[in-house]
Amino acid sequence: MSASAIFVLDLKGKVLICRNYKGDVDMAEIDHFMSLLMQHEEEGLICPVMAHGNVHFMWIKHSNLYLVATTNKNSNASLVYSFLYKLVEVFTEYFKELEEESIQDNFVVVYELLDELMDFGFPQTTDSKILQEYITQEGAKLEVAKTKVPTTVTNAVSWRSEGIKYKKNEVFIDVIESINVLVNANGSVMSSDIVGSIKLKTMLSGMPELRLGLNDRVLFALTGRDKGKTVVMEDVKFHQCVRLSRFESDRTISFIPPDGESELMSYRINTHVKPLIWIESVIEKFSHSRVEIMVKAKGQFKKQSVANNVEVRVPVPSDADSPKFKTSTGHAKYVPEKNLVVWTIKSFPGGKEFLMRAHFGLPSVENDEAEGKPPITVKFEIPYFTVSGIQVRYMKIIEKSGYQALPWVRYITQSGGTLLNSHQI
Amino acid sequence: MPYIGSEDTVRDLRRVLSNPNVQSDQLRYRNTILKVIRAMSQGVDVSGLFSEMVKACATVDIVQKKLVYVFLCSYATLNPELSLLVINTLRKDCQDPNPMVRSLALRNMTNLRLPSLVEYVEQPLTAGLRDRAACVRRVAVLGWAKLHNLQTNSEIDAAVVNELYSLLRDPDPVVMVNCLRALEEILREEGGVAINKPITHHLLNRLKECDIWGQCEVLRILQRYRPQSEDELFNILSLLDVSLISPHPPVMAATLSLFLSLCSGLPAVGLAALERVRGPLLAACGNTSREMQFTALCHIQLLLRSLPGLMGEHYKRFFCGYAEPAYIKQRKIEVLVELVNDDNVAILLDELRGYCTDVNISTAHAAISAIGRIGRSYSDKCLEILTELLGLKQEHITSAVVQTMRDLVWVCPQCSRTVCSAVEGCEAEIQDSQGRHALLWLLGVYGEQVSSVPYTLEVFIDGVRSEASVGVKMELLTATVRLFLCRPAETQDMLGRLLHYCIEEETNMCVSDQALLYYRLLHCGIEETRKVLQCRRSDPSLGVLIGRPAEPINQWSYIFNTLEPLRPGAIETESATIGGSPEHMTFDPKPNNDLSDTLSYSFAPLSLSLSPALSPEEFEDLWLQQQENYVYMEEHVQCPTIFRCSPQSLQAAMQLVNIQTLAFTPPHTLPWRVYLYTNTQNKHSADTCHGTLILGELLYTGEEIQKKSKDEENVGVFTYIFLARRN
Repeated sequence: MSASAIFVLDLKGKVLICRNYKGDVDMAEIDHFMSLLMQHEEEGLICPVMAHGNVHFMWIKHSNLYLVATTNKNSNASLVYSFLYKLVEVFTEYFKELEEESIQDNFVVVYELLDELMDFGFPQTTDSKILQEYITQEGAKLEVAKTKVPTTVTNAVSWRSEGIKYKKNEVFIDVIESINVLVNANGSVMSSDIVGSIKLKTMLSGMPELRLGLNDRVLFALTGRDKGKTVVMEDVKFHQCVRLSRFESDRTISFIPPDGESELMSYRINTHVKPLIWIESVIEKFSHSRVEIMVKAKGQFKKQSVANNVEVRVPVPSDADSPKFKTSTGHAKYVPEKNLVVWTIKSFPGGKEFLMRAHFGLPSVENDEAEGKPPITVKFEIPYFTVSGIQVRYMKIIEKSGYQALPWVRYITQSGGTLLNSHQI
Repeated sequence: MPYIGSEDTVRDLRRVLSNPNVQSDQLRYRNTILKVIRAMSQGVDVSGLFSEMVKACATVDIVQKKLVYVFLCSYATLNPELSLLVINTLRKDCQDPNPMVRSLALRNMTNLRLPSLVEYVEQPLTAGLRDRAACVRRVAVLGWAKLHNLQTNSEIDAAVVNELYSLLRDPDPVVMVNCLRALEEILREEGGVAINKPITHHLLNRLKECDIWGQCEVLRILQRYRPQSEDELFNILSLLDVSLISPHPPVMAATLSLFLSLCSGLPAVGLAALERVRGPLLAACGNTSREMQFTALCHIQLLLRSLPGLMGEHYKRFFCGYAEPAYIKQRKIEVLVELVNDDNVAILLDELRGYCTDVNISTAHAAISAIGRIGRSYSDKCLEILTELLGLKQEHITSAVVQTMRDLVWVCPQCSRTVCSAVEGCEAEIQDSQGRHALLWLLGVYGEQVSSVPYTLEVFIDGVRSEASVGVKMELLTATVRLFLCRPAETQDMLGRLLHYCIEEETNMCVSDQALLYYRLLHCGIEETRKVLQCRRSDPSLGVLIGRPAEPINQWSYIFNTLEPLRPGAIETESATIGGSPEHMTFDPKPNNDLSDTLSYSFAPLSLSLSPALSPEEFEDLWLQQQENYVYMEEHVQCPTIFRCSPQSLQAAMQLVNIQTLAFTPPHTLPWRVYLYTNTQNKHSADTCHGTLILGELLYTGEEIQKKSKDEENVGVFTYIFLARRN
């Protein structure tokens, strides 16, 4: 893997914090990073790996920061990117939000973390749950060195420490599905898939053993049951706590959960889903005078369900002015900095149909620059409902002390990216 | 970046640091140190505080210790003498009952990177290897690698190496993986850590305990292992099968890489492994991280070189999203081109057409040239789209379309009629030199098919004074002379003007020399000129090579899962290997001294026999039998070629064009030569042997042009010597 050094830069390319792990690349090389980036940007050829001499920069951008790894070896690119994203993940868990300010406010912790995460260019302890046991933000408070090593550093169960106690033992399970639909200009669905994740908030004492039952088709086929609705999951990814060998052999999801919040698993379902909120749009552009937009949104889901916080974003030409709106429900707003009309509907019952009309003036002098034709996007959230029909059938919680614990399940469907390629604007 | 006031800052900090009152108040002391580190992060040169900071590291406050160490490691190389003072504290810390303190001290001791301190560090490191706490052992193991890195030419301590080997059996998986990493570093001269059967099996058994970083490391190192029997090989492969479909892309890629190296002798198993990773790879393309998507796409391009049909039915997964960055879109477009088949071509072209108007110009160009590439197999549909794009009258699109059409015509001459009618009248739109270059080439070569060419050229010739690009001027010269050959009456006057300007007024030597050359050539007569300028209109290598043959996996497996595939242009696209015609690259239209051209001057046009090939023995017999009608001809043809294709692939390629291999020297010997033979078809006689027999030698000396390019490929010269004999 061998990353020689890691840098965190602000948007102007100033080094906020850096760590030289190997000492085989001159730290001053980073000065070339920003000029290279600008040069690539001008040519429209930004690339996540850039070379200067025999030094390669691999970088990612997160809010207003660049995280850059330098190397002079032909190292494993996917591993370096994974590590940079791991950094983001760990820092985010520590500071809630990773941005320039949080790095500056917490640079002591950042130094400590960089020290633990990697040594000599090789990732070491990268699990934030473990790190949080011995690197704390309360480090700012004065305390004499901790005499106890966290057991987790050498523990068999590295993601959970012993001796956790709760008065009330509960576990909350969130099944969140986001659907991605791509619709072309003719109104036919080009591609659609569902990306789901199961998140846990565990508040259980001791070392509980959990078993999760889903209506997984493969499992049902294995056990010979064939009743009810089942789902076929693809690309299932588990938290490291899940015993993969058991899942491989008999599809049982059994694990000792990490304490607090964690993502237990994620999956993808590749079925044909129709867009839950269907958009039809008519956009008429009269050059030099005006644009007329008519958007119709229709809820194509069960009548009992309600979609919340629906947002339909309709792109408009960048030189449009003097907006006028008329909506059958919700309200529309013009966001000139993004060249969008945002139509928000607080609650959108299934089967209903709503309408929005917008009118914009256009300047008489035409804009020469070619503009892209961005798609119309829709955002929403439907609680108590999953598109795929996935269900948590049971959650068994077994602990030595034999306490009773309650599992709570919640289902949410969100829009991942419903894109409707609009007609010519 | 020292800024104004930095000296004051340092002076103030020094005053506070050496104030005994502050030193006795832990909180104030630590806050001052915090200020020092903050100043250091902001780029202030605080190296002057080194001695004060050395004192500050003797403390029980672990956070303060860490901060001081960060400071010391950054400035130790500037103050080697003073650093000696720290060693004492560090060594004392190595005895601390708290393992955290021990590991911290050990890590920073080795991070100081001072060769002068090595002797003090060795003893604590040796002790560290046997420490009770795993976290100390982890640090100690890597510490040895750091020491070795510091003085690479020092002797390797066999005792340490042995100890590290034995630590491969450490109960802590990170210690184990760190041992591998350290041994790799220390034994690099000897080719890295020695992998034998027990070690391999041990590592494989413990693979599951490691985190993803560790797994990748182990899998990478195991690539060196060669199983002793086929049974063992298959046992290993079935053990690894779970990781092959791992949801973590790095693990999946590392496993695939290991699979490919283990199965290098069994191409069928390798191909099966590629099929197996299709799902995880596609999942990686849908990764939330763009960089990971990009990496996955680049690697898919590699796989497609060996298994073109791998992703065929999943082409929709490579459609671009609107908001995706250009680098992903362009790679996706490149992948899409590879996935075209009869069923999806309509949908694919429809999608690609959408990308042609992308806001990002290079993405638009990539899409346009992708359509051109698909046009080699589906020319009608593609030409329709390209012609339609010309109608948009967008400067950069028109230019890209014309270039694409030129490339397309070069390989599919049958499209010329459509192309000629399409490009008519688009000269006003094209502003950049490459586009005009392409347009001029088309107009010159197909001058007789477009009625308005003389007028178009006249506009160019009138504007030649303000023309900045040398390439365009030279192409203009060639095009005008070519046009003159087929339409002399309309062109004579403007050719005269152009030659006059170029010879008399042009300052660029290339242009005026070329003009002179044409001028003298025309003096020699029209026939001579025609012979030189009537170039071929299509790529001679095509027509037989339909589609790209699948490459063997070992052509690319050594760069799999590294940085290499991510570099722009690292993956040879079809256009780079076949489509890039010499005509387009060179400004200098010197007579083509390719093989078939020169031969055709002395002989009737050649066509190689399509009948079943002669065996080497038959060829030898024929060659010796017929002594009469002996024509001996020697031709040296030089062309730069990247010397990386294996004899087998060369042989396969040659066989496609009916040239057989007689013999070749073993690979990697210099000079490297191949003897080739073939015979021509004889249409008049039933006996196919009564044609021309051709014997050729292909010689690679490897020394004539030794250009060190970036990745140190040898760009050498192939010399072809062809001997022919006719019956």
